[in-house]
Amino acid sequence: MSEAKDVAVRREAMVERKSSIEAMTPFVDIFENDDEILLFADMPGVDKKDVAINIDNGKLTLSGLRETGEDGVLSWEEFGDVEYQRTFSVPQTIDVDKVNAELRDGVLRLHLPKSAAAKPRQIHIKGD
Amino acid sequence: MWREWSELDRMFRAMDLLNARVNRLYQGSEGYRISGAPSGLTQMGPRTNLRDAGDHLRITAELPGVSREDLQIRLQGNYLEISGNRKAENPEGYTRHRQERVVTSFSRSFTLPADIDSTKVEAKLKDGILTLTLPKVEAAKPRQITIN
Repeated sequence: MSEAKDVAVRREAMVERKSSIEAMTPFVDIFENDDEILLFADMPGVDKKDVAINIDNGKLTLSGLRETGEDGVLSWEEFGDVEYQRTFSVPQTIDVDKVNAELRDGVLRLHLPKSAAAKPRQIHIKGD
Repeated sequence: MWREWSELDRMFRAMDLLNARVNRLYQGSEGYRISGAPSGLTQMGPRTNLRDAGDHLRITAELPGVSREDLQIRLQGNYLEISGNRKAENPEGYTRHRQERVVTSFSRSFTLPADIDSTKVEAKLKDGILTLTLPKVEAAKPRQITIN
């Protein structure tokens, strides 16, 4: 998939932090209109306080931590503690101050408004 | 002879297609999964965990973006079925650049290790995780045996 090239997930090997938590790439939908870029990311089970969104130098990094912490004898397990992680390249024209996000039903909705200069503008042709 | 070749060709194409699909399903998931359940929600249903807490069982399922109204849970004896659908979220007036989140209806059924008292089942949907607390029927609850 050639599409996947512009999306890079970083996995730095950190000696100090040896976590056993699995890193996972969340599924995303990306939409755009004249005013903003809208991103949906599936992060089931992630609490609002465990989500970090970082925009720096044209890189948008999403991460969300899920710790299930359940008791009882395990009969089967198909999902567990996970760290959702994904990095995107975003255009410099994003107005970082106005970025807002909401988390509902395990889906992160991220609004990335474009700065006024980046919006398409209708050019009026002056008559005489 | 040309016929066999085209057949072979078709077979390869089918294999490529399958391969691509499998790759898509397992994209982003690392490590071994117990069942064949892929990451993310597909028509095969959500990924689930089952835990046995003695007098009740607990099933959790990953259902991001599925609302309560779009989810059906059916229980009969020890047979559980979770079905529903995830609707497309297409905001109006937007161009779509990428769509990985699957829009699908799904159904998954389970044979639970014990009979369940269906009148006392509790279901909770929070942050895209469905939690079902399934109390066992009296006869299926563990009992302490005293040694004489």
